[in-house]
Amino acid sequence: MEKYFDASYIFEALPMLIPFLKVTFYVTVLSVLFGSIIGLILAIMKLGKNKIGQKIANGYTTILRCTPSIVLLFLVYYGVPALAGSFGIDLNSLDTSVFVIITFSLQFGAYMSEVIRSAYESIDKGQYEAAVSVGLSPVQAYWRIIFPQAFVVALPNFGNSLLELMKEGSLAYTIGLIDVMGKANLIIAGNINAHALEIYIALSLIYWVLSIAIEQFFFRLEKLFSKGKQVIKTT
Amino acid sequence: MSDGLDFEFLIDTFFVALSGVPIALLITVVSLLIALPLGFLLALTRINKIPVLNRFAQVYVSFVRGTPVIVQIFIIYNSVPLLLSSIFKEYGININVYEINPIWYAFIVFSLNTTAILIEVFRSSISTVSKGQLEAAQSVGLTNVQAFRRIIIPQTLVVALPNICTATVNLIKATSLGYALSLHEITLRAQVAANASYNYVEAYLDIFIVYLIICSLVEYLFKVYEKRLTKYKSAAA
Repeated sequence: MEKYFDASYIFEALPMLIPFLKVTFYVTVLSVLFGSIIGLILAIMKLGKNKIGQKIANGYTTILRCTPSIVLLFLVYYGVPALAGSFGIDLNSLDTSVFVIITFSLQFGAYMSEVIRSAYESIDKGQYEAAVSVGLSPVQAYWRIIFPQAFVVALPNFGNSLLELMKEGSLAYTIGLIDVMGKANLIIAGNINAHALEIYIALSLIYWVLSIAIEQFFFRLEKLFSKGKQVIKTT
Repeated sequence: MSDGLDFEFLIDTFFVALSGVPIALLITVVSLLIALPLGFLLALTRINKIPVLNRFAQVYVSFVRGTPVIVQIFIIYNSVPLLLSSIFKEYGININVYEINPIWYAFIVFSLNTTAILIEVFRSSISTVSKGQLEAAQSVGLTNVQAFRRIIIPQTLVVALPNICTATVNLIKATSLGYALSLHEITLRAQVAANASYNYVEAYLDIFIVYLIICSLVEYLFKVYEKRLTKYKSAAA
């Protein structure tokens, strides 16, 4: 078959792809949720006084940062069932989305631990001391004074990590998850590889719009929360 | 599923994966060589607000940062042959576009991608160097090129280096997607080795270790270089 470019395929592919965004969202949201929990634990380890805890948390972050998502994805996809198999647990029938969520939670945890750590460290120690000195309990001081300030600092980095996660999430098609990327590949396979370009362009448009939307959302959110606050201007 | 790891295979495949390192590094180096000057120039257009180029760079950066690398790879992989074959037909050049070594596509994709990342890196780092530096350089009689080469770029580089390091590491990681271009780099080589005996866990452990080694090395080298460059830092502070 002669290959040629036909823009109408882009618009035809869009309505077919968009319903599958919910799989992408589902994976992303759950990964963010679990990843944030992992990140919080790691950040606490990094900020804690325990030397071994610090080493483990820093090592974890370095290792995860050096691993391509696709390698981690396959390592989890093949490794976890094999590991569970040696304990006599059969995980082979598990849904692929579970492996995707495990992978990206692990990865997002590494990023989040750095985001949380740097946000926490950006808050002046005097804030906590002042809070305690006026009679707040340590928990109250953290919850009412430190957390709201650190949250604003963390927002842009959190947004960036979220974007990164969403983009990396497109690799989940390699282990057979049908999200937008997987669906695009299915459509192309159904067309016997014709018009692959148009469908990938449609896909890139979806991701692009989504990224801009998320970016804008976090930008607005940041503005909203930093209202009335004395934030040191950064360039 | 076999019980435990097959250590013999683990060690054999480690060297198979290692043999893919030169290709991964070649792509990284070529992409960086193209992307560094291009990124710097486009960053200058962003800062100086040159009408058309500024807008172009903005949209370009937004697109590259807003879409997954794998989608970019597929777009280039599908569009470049189409473009080339129509150009070749126009001028009557008799080259089969489908026999081009996939490494050329990898060069295109990764240099385009890295350029976009570096535009942002340079944009933020150039803006940390105060305008007075350029004016001072000009006032003592340096030409614009000299001023940039001797005054602005060294100071910019100090600020930009950690981010360039991150970009490089990300680039090396991204070359693992070369399998989509059937490029025989680290990931694909080990995958092929694993296909024969279904030792996927071992193969991916090997790939994992290889990337860990390369990325740690690159980070270490950048740290060393950063130390050497700090002599320019006092000027920036």
